[in-house]
Amino acid sequence: MSIDINEANLKCGLLGLVIALVEIIRDALKHQALRRIEGDTLTDEEIERLGMALEEIDMAIEQIKKEQGISESVKSIRNGLDDIVDDLLDRIANPQRWVENRAEEQA
Amino acid sequence: MNARYLYCIVDGNKAINFGRTGIDNKKVYTIPFKDLSAVVHDCPSAPYKSEDSEKVKSWIITHEKVVEAAWKKFGTILPFGFDTIIIGDKNGNAEKNVKRWLKNDYKRLRLKLDKFKGKAEFGVQIFLHPEIIAKSIAEGDPEIKKLEAEIRAKSRGFAYMYKQKLGIILRKQMELEAEKYFNDFYEKIKKTVIEIKVEKTKKPEEGKQMLMNLSCLLLRDKAKDLGAELEKIKNKKEFFVRFTGPWPPYSFV
Repeated sequence: MSIDINEANLKCGLLGLVIALVEIIRDALKHQALRRIEGDTLTDEEIERLGMALEEIDMAIEQIKKEQGISESVKSIRNGLDDIVDDLLDRIANPQRWVENRAEEQA
Repeated sequence: MNARYLYCIVDGNKAINFGRTGIDNKKVYTIPFKDLSAVVHDCPSAPYKSEDSEKVKSWIITHEKVVEAAWKKFGTILPFGFDTIIIGDKNGNAEKNVKRWLKNDYKRLRLKLDKFKGKAEFGVQIFLHPEIIAKSIAEGDPEIKKLEAEIRAKSRGFAYMYKQKLGIILRKQMELEAEKYFNDFYEKIKKTVIEIKVEKTKKPEEGKQMLMNLSCLLLRDKAKDLGAELEKIKNKKEFFVRFTGPWPPYSFV
């Protein structure tokens, strides 16, 4: 399978990766925000500001994806990253199977 | 052509020529030993590799077609996966090596063949519609209803944070529901089959999420019992069922 690299799809792939990472960081921020709220360490005003800011970030991300036409690309990058993490966890949990798979690949 | 590409082992020792139906139009034929045979074609001693995924796909399809034909002809077979090759020894005699392998493994192969008499593999994939399940969970859960009411009442920033909380709770509940369904369906399906293998679930497709992916070994004429059980699941609006087969018992060799 030959990979056809041109300026357009390179930019697309790179942008997709950047947005995928931005989404992952955003998810971590949301998670942290919820913990702070549940930990009762924030005032009502702070919660309101935090919620609105996160919502703005969501909307900005969606807009970028729409304008650049990379929604599917970002989805598939995140799925790919999920698969890599899954695979890695599998190998940690079951090293014997990893050895067998490597042997199969090299055969 | 110092090696033999192996398609399957069959129950029977009639010398059969399948013609040029093999990969790369190779002649497919049987090498018998006692009351069973290997279905092969002559090939070089290297595995079939290619960068062209279309080519590899067509090889695999050809492999499966030959195995199907052997299954039709002989009734009971042990199918091998794509690219199983037996190489010749240093004197170049692959046929001898095949016979030697059949001789050494005869007991095990014979036992397996007997195990598969009259049986076939069926694939069961059960999908769920996440939104339908989410809706019924939301309707039945007072904590969720309370959250939904708060979201409607609060200001924008608060509403957003509560929405995130709702999302997390809903996802957790859905996971629990999915696990319940998985176990329930698994037990019910297990009762209708002889052997069952849980395969990896694939990525979601068009709004459906794969709940379970099973390979089932059962008697061919018992397939309707499995079908009946799946019909009950199919009738629930939350689920979609894909029931495939009969296949040669690839997953159980």
